[in-house]
Amino acid sequence: MMQFRLEKRREPSKAMLYGTPIVAVLLTMIVGAILFSLIGFDGVGAVREIFITPFTNTYKWQDLGVKAAPLIIIGVGLSIAYRANVWNIGAEGQYVVGGLAATGVALATYQMTGWWILPLMILAGMAGGALYGAIPALLRTRLGVNEILTSLMLTYVSVQAIYYLVRAPWKDPMGMGFPQTRRFAADALLPNILPGTIVHAGVPIAIIVALVAWFVMSRSVFGYQMRVVGAAPHAARYGGFSENRTIWLAFLVSGALAGLAGALEVSGPFQRMVPGFPTNYGFTAIIVAFLGRLDPLGVIFGGLVIAVTFVGGEIAQTSIGLSNSATGVFQAMMLFFLLAGDLLVRYRIRRVTPQAEARA
Amino acid sequence: MLENIALGMDSKIPSRELEARIRAVMNQYGLLLDPHRTVATLSVGERQRIEIVRALLLEPQLLIMDEPTSVLTPQEVEQLFTVLRKLAAEGCSILYISHKLHEIKALCDTATILRGGKLVDTCDPKQETSRSMAEKMIGTGLKDIVKAEGRTFGPPKLVVSQLSTVKAGHFDVPVDGVSFTVRAGEILGIAGVAGNGQNALLDALSGEIRGDDREAITIDGLGIGMMDTTERRRNGLCAVPEERNGHAAVGEFSLSDNSVLTARDRLGMVVMGLINGGAAKTYTGKVIADFAVKALGPGSMAGSLSGGNLQKYIMGREILQKPSVLVVSQPTWGVDAGAAAAIHQALVDLAAAGSAIVVISQDLDELRALSDTLAVINMGRLSPARPVKDVSVEEIGLLMGGVHGAEAA
Repeated sequence: MMQFRLEKRREPSKAMLYGTPIVAVLLTMIVGAILFSLIGFDGVGAVREIFITPFTNTYKWQDLGVKAAPLIIIGVGLSIAYRANVWNIGAEGQYVVGGLAATGVALATYQMTGWWILPLMILAGMAGGALYGAIPALLRTRLGVNEILTSLMLTYVSVQAIYYLVRAPWKDPMGMGFPQTRRFAADALLPNILPGTIVHAGVPIAIIVALVAWFVMSRSVFGYQMRVVGAAPHAARYGGFSENRTIWLAFLVSGALAGLAGALEVSGPFQRMVPGFPTNYGFTAIIVAFLGRLDPLGVIFGGLVIAVTFVGGEIAQTSIGLSNSATGVFQAMMLFFLLAGDLLVRYRIRRVTPQAEARA
Repeated sequence: MLENIALGMDSKIPSRELEARIRAVMNQYGLLLDPHRTVATLSVGERQRIEIVRALLLEPQLLIMDEPTSVLTPQEVEQLFTVLRKLAAEGCSILYISHKLHEIKALCDTATILRGGKLVDTCDPKQETSRSMAEKMIGTGLKDIVKAEGRTFGPPKLVVSQLSTVKAGHFDVPVDGVSFTVRAGEILGIAGVAGNGQNALLDALSGEIRGDDREAITIDGLGIGMMDTTERRRNGLCAVPEERNGHAAVGEFSLSDNSVLTARDRLGMVVMGLINGGAAKTYTGKVIADFAVKALGPGSMAGSLSGGNLQKYIMGREILQKPSVLVVSQPTWGVDAGAAAAIHQALVDLAAAGSAIVVISQDLDELRALSDTLAVINMGRLSPARPVKDVSVEEIGLLMGGVHGAEAA
């Protein structure tokens, strides 16, 4: 009987490490084309519409930026937390709470004007996300509760909070009974930066966030702490970095960035709080963080790739009638190939025959 | 233990029969153990006896042993040698790999010396001196540790009084009411069989285990018992734990980044929250040069270094910080004789410059050569420290075996 065994590589090559995301995207395109052909679609056409058209159609570039911005902001936060082996799966919830906090400020200042309203909304959003992230951090550090479960479940709580708020206290009085808030006043809206497009200030903010995070992670003691706790917790303790402090920092930072994305989305594309505000950006950003190799600069690339599948999915929906779920299939395949590729970067597959094993 | 031995057997033997055979072998060779104990509760020395029993059960023609005595007390070593001599007399060939040359002299009939994987010489150890063999091993003349005779020590620098830790896990051996004093310029050696609380003692001193009594540990009269590792380093206490990769160093980080781990505060590698990579690199380069670390440069991954080179780097990283108190565990474990001598000399020089040094080691030769005073740890308790020239190997051995020997019997 033939057997396969995984063997750890001595030092994984840098080229392979950074090549894996590209290979994963290519494999997704190939397998996606085959898969959709098999179930009776124009597979090649689907892949072309999803992966190529968003680039060739210059009109779609603005969509790419707008979709990528929140993914990059949240993905940067998650990449920092995951570096420290802190598994914040609840960025979606922190994003929602950030959006709600910004909405709260926008509604409270509805009658007022002033340049300070939007910055205050953004600060409120970040504070809201950070506080919501503090709950799993508290449960983990005080009671040892697994942060994956708590952060994930809190997401569903936050969604219920939207449903309640837009149906009762924050309901638009002029909204004909629709469950939504008023449209924000002008000073509470995120400005467009390119006239005639939908590109808002969140796009450059996302790039700045990624650059700052890259600098902080590679040069500061904070970044060092995150990296060393993730790579060798025992050595981190020896070096004087507390594990609990790291868990807190990771949740506060990733929560604040998810909250920032929420505030930007609600004041930008949405312009009001609606029940459809949770668009899974917080979950998709997990894929983005891994596509970007948990490196803030890589996250820009990851965010763009995922944005392409979103925009391309919409194109394919209208042009060749592909269901919107196809986007999810492509994104999932990408994460699958990425994780499989990661395994092969760190390990090699060796074929062993039982005799050889007995001798060894 | 029984199950562990059964795993190593070629054919399946009923456990009752196996147990009988194990007891027979143990009695024949004087290896005393209870076959029903869980391996995790055994000391490393006892675990090694399992290995030997397992090997003996197979009635071998050739027995290969690699550094078997590193975890044994001198008495246990003598016991082991008796077993091995008996085996050899019965016609079994023994290949005995060790860097402890007096063992080779005491036990072996011929010796083959390897250096860097190449055959250097084959000789009759009974005709050679330990020194001549050591010189063949490292290829050059061996330097003695230069230790000024009749040195006087300064005032007490590190004072530990009634230091205890809480049992952290099922297999943790905590320290229990440990007290000792190390004066400026003094090297205190702590001997003991592996797994007798050495790790807890090091963690409690380094600050990884934080105490609740400020005065349990003092440096120059300043109570540091409740400080964390960073604050203790700022106050002059550096430590090197036994485990290199993953504890004393991060394998996936460059040597430069590893220098930041412990030297960032003492050597000003952090300015306003940012790491000064240039300073870390310069310092790492100095460590590599001064301690002859075989690495491509400060950018090399710590995990790509051999164990001995990584140890040289770690020791250099701490010693060059010129700590006023240095606590090290197994400073020369797995390091070749030449490098070990260099590390020993660096420790002696650091002490001569007025630092207080605590060396925790299982290598008695190392401790006797290096220390001024010697204490023995057993089951988390520390014997009173005594000047090293006043204690005999037999006494140390008895202290090391202490409670342990009684328990095994």
